[in-house]
Amino acid sequence: MTGYAIVLASNELARVQAVSTIGSVAAASDIPVEVFVTMDGLLAFDEEVVETGDFDVGPVGRAMQDAEDADVPLFTEQFQQAQEIGPLKLWACEMAMDLLDTDLDDYVDVFEDTLGVAGFLNRAQDKQIVFV
Amino acid sequence: MSETEYDPDVTIDARGSTCPGPLMDLIGKVKEADPGTVIELQTSDSGSKGDVPEWLDEAGHDLLEVVEQDDYWSMYVETN
Repeated sequence: MTGYAIVLASNELARVQAVSTIGSVAAASDIPVEVFVTMDGLLAFDEEVVETGDFDVGPVGRAMQDAEDADVPLFTEQFQQAQEIGPLKLWACEMAMDLLDTDLDDYVDVFEDTLGVAGFLNRAQDKQIVFV
Repeated sequence: MSETEYDPDVTIDARGSTCPGPLMDLIGKVKEADPGTVIELQTSDSGSKGDVPEWLDEAGHDLLEVVEQDDYWSMYVETN
């Protein structure tokens, strides 16, 4: 096992949160994790969306947002905490950013850099690929 | 409050935090602790009772005791 390469192509909060939870615990346990955020996945990382909490939510995502007696750390906090203690890197898809006409400054500060598909495949070649 | 024989060097108050908060807090402390350090993890997340031992087993540290308190659990861990 040389780690996980996770493709995150969904902006649904529960899916994004699942990636941050699994990826963060893996990285904190010294298992290398590369997360390639592409397609609609990027929308959840938009700074304004994160600030307002205006996520695409299903039943679990809604329950997370409504939880009053439990502190559910948002995926951005989980990624940032894990990046401080383990090998976790997030990459923003260049193609999707071109289509959305955005740059890295439009997103929360969790990304290493932008990346194309060839770059992702290079980083994924020795890893288990997980598509979300 | 339940009693334990262990006197922790470090206490992590992760009460109110859900998965993976308590585990992440524990991992962070374990990584910076010297071998033989006793850590008390206070958690109200019932999933921690299963998840923390799984992680400790894989990472090679010891779960000394789990003490049920009024509305949370104290998990005593020793680093190796």
